Amino acid sequence: MAEQIAIAKANSEVAQRGTLVKLIIFSLSLGIAPLSAYYASLKYIWNGNATWAALTAVLTANFVLVAYIITSIYEDGNPGGASPQESKKER
Amino acid sequence: MSVCPPYAPFFGFAGVASAMIFSTVGAAFGTAKAGIGIAGLGTFKPELIMKARSAMALATRHARILTIIFQSLIPVVMSGIIAVYGLVVSVLISGALKPGDYPLFAGFVHLGAGLACGFTGLTAGYAIGIVGDACVRAYVNESKVFVSMVLILIFAEVLGLYGLIVALIMNSQVAGLDGICT
Repeated sequence: MAEQIAIAKANSEVAQRGTLVKLIIFSLSLGIAPLSAYYASLKYIWNGNATWAALTAVLTANFVLVAYIITSIYEDGNPGGASPQESKKER
Repeated sequence: MSVCPPYAPFFGFAGVASAMIFSTVGAAFGTAKAGIGIAGLGTFKPELIMKARSAMALATRHARILTIIFQSLIPVVMSGIIAVYGLVVSVLISGALKPGDYPLFAGFVHLGAGLACGFTGLTAGYAIGIVGDACVRAYVNESKVFVSMVLILIFAEVLGLYGLIVALIMNSQVAGLDGICT
């Protein structure tokens, strides 16, 4: 019994580190992706038209947000609504 | 009364500053208020070691806690996006500022664009903060609140997006003004 608890604790530690890495990656990409999308699209795609470049940057920021929401729903392989029903059944 | 007075860039830079300042105030309020709700999750103690019948139940509870943490940070991410809106408008406006040959009309347009984006970002951040705080507290007890939380937060964020679109439309008015100063 004590061994099982120790294994579960080790698993949860690894899972927490993975979560922290994911959160750091999302925070950095939320800061870096829109600005780099603005300047890159201004120079290479829209030929100096700043309005379209700003819209591209906004689209990139919202894309990062949607990716974060989808990642949070599929965190650990459980859909958000399914796990509380399981835990209620176990109790 | 000249069309391009030397004090015209004052209004342009005021627009740049106000876009960044006010949207960041809104984002800071949103982050702080939602963060208070998330810190309240620290009292959520399922007493893992005492009640766990098996290692499987323990792992499920750990996964549940990680899911709660990940999903309760969504209001904070959305507040960050409000600040990104202000940043994009600031970068956009400051790209068009020049020391000379800058009409007063362009200064006023840039000031209006910056104020539009800044104040709508302030309102959006306020809404995200209050909704995020309440919904994160409710989400711990009832997991079905998640979908309505995301929906309400999206509607709050779209307020900031409207301000950004109006700022972009206003800013496009100064595109064809070259050579008006002579």
